[in-house]
Amino acid sequence: MIDNFSILLSHGLLALAFWYLLQRDDMDAEAPPVPDKEPEGFGHQRLKPGQIDNAAGDTPDA
Amino acid sequence: MRDLVFVGYLALILLLAFKRPFLFTLIYAYIDIIAPQRLSYFMLNSIPLSLIVFGLAVLGFLISDDKKDVRISPRWALLIMLLAYCGYTTTIADEPVFALEKWGWVWKALVFAAFLPLTLRTRVRIEALALTMVLCASALIVTGGIKTAVGGGGYGVLVLLINNNSGLYEGSIISTVAIAIIPLILWLAKHGTIFKPDWRVRVYVAALIFSCLLIPVGTQARTGLVCIAVLAVLLLRFNKYRFMYAAGAVTLGLMAIPLLPQSFTERMETIQNYEADESASTRIAVWSWTLEYVKTHPFGGGFEAYRQNKIKYEIPVIDENGLDTGDVLSQEKEIVDEGRAYHSSYFEMLGEQGWPGLVIWLLIHVGGVWRMEVIRRQYKKRAREDEEWVAPLAIALQNAQIIYLIGSLFVAIAFQPFVYMLIAMQIGLDTYLVRRRKEAAWRPIKQRRLGKVAPPEPAPNSA
Repeated sequence: MIDNFSILLSHGLLALAFWYLLQRDDMDAEAPPVPDKEPEGFGHQRLKPGQIDNAAGDTPDA
Repeated sequence: MRDLVFVGYLALILLLAFKRPFLFTLIYAYIDIIAPQRLSYFMLNSIPLSLIVFGLAVLGFLISDDKKDVRISPRWALLIMLLAYCGYTTTIADEPVFALEKWGWVWKALVFAAFLPLTLRTRVRIEALALTMVLCASALIVTGGIKTAVGGGGYGVLVLLINNNSGLYEGSIISTVAIAIIPLILWLAKHGTIFKPDWRVRVYVAALIFSCLLIPVGTQARTGLVCIAVLAVLLLRFNKYRFMYAAGAVTLGLMAIPLLPQSFTERMETIQNYEADESASTRIAVWSWTLEYVKTHPFGGGFEAYRQNKIKYEIPVIDENGLDTGDVLSQEKEIVDEGRAYHSSYFEMLGEQGWPGLVIWLLIHVGGVWRMEVIRRQYKKRAREDEEWVAPLAIALQNAQIIYLIGSLFVAIAFQPFVYMLIAMQIGLDTYLVRRRKEAAWRPIKQRRLGKVAPPEPAPNSA
């Protein structure tokens, strides 16, 4: 009885998850990420603070 | 009847997978974790189910997946190296017949772990794998939790769906795994998009975590209690209200003691008196044997090399007050044993795969803890709204691995397929994030030329 309940619950939820996944277009391909507002790593260190602000200001869509 | 239900269920989910082939990969994970062929009496036993589904998963990947997104990482290469090295030690194994038997399932676990990261190309896929693993483990955990709650537990007594000691169905292994996945369950509850966080998810998650905590009580595996303690400490790390949390956890723990079965508290007390316990004494004797063994066999003895050991150990006599009477030799009980298992993943790797195998294995695991830390720090710093899920997932995977690494000090689960799926998820997350960061990287020259950042192009299949 307990075993059957556990099997039913887990398998039911798994099947439901698979069903939801069928409707998810972003499972196989995602839209590209929103571009970064400022560089990372060495590029970030080379830029002066003012430049970062300008770069960020240039990206209204980001 | 149960056979028919399982066949029908499998047919249904396989049918769904023909529409979206990545589901084959998830179905393979399901078959590997739950092993429905073991729950079935004859129908599923008679066909090589996992081989068929793995073939479909690979075929689905080859035909329908975009291979340009595929990335590999150093840890992925280490997995392949471990696979090749284990293959080699199997050919020179001291116990060739038993070694071949273990190799029969180990190579599958490693090949699947190497295959998984290639398919984890989107956030949804990573989440889907986490969800599948949790739900599959829940089949065993829910039944174990309920049986424990109604008083059906006991060391070696608690039966999880079937009376079988392999895979996750073994008491110490399910205790470690049940606690290790709690961070992942919490992540799914907060950042899940397949089952969006609402009151139903919260109720289910609370019940499932309670069940997870009951598993070490039900199986009376001491490893589980150690894992709970490790989890409690790990959760403290990122808690804003540390003192309140610690006080709450201690209070809850103390309140739980009177409610625990007496057999459980008695068994847990043996952690302190490990010298008087046969199981613990065996461990220490086997570990000493292994250290001696690798002095003459630095490249290991192949799978199941422990079967050749003959160990002798002594158990001090304990009086009725629990004190070691210990000074008279004649009072000590001497035990001679043969073919005792390692009872530790570290010694399992050392004895079976020697120093090279242990080093590769440690690099894979410690490398995972380190990479998740790097990701956590990196994404905390990036602080982008669309990446809010990343750092918590890295923490969850890191915590799961630390719990496993501590739990596996006392249980030989170095090749547990479930854990390799966790590692594959870490590698998949890591390579996915590298690719996404590259795609999102700042492009000053383009910006200057266009005067602004080009808007993102829509994905071919996006809605």
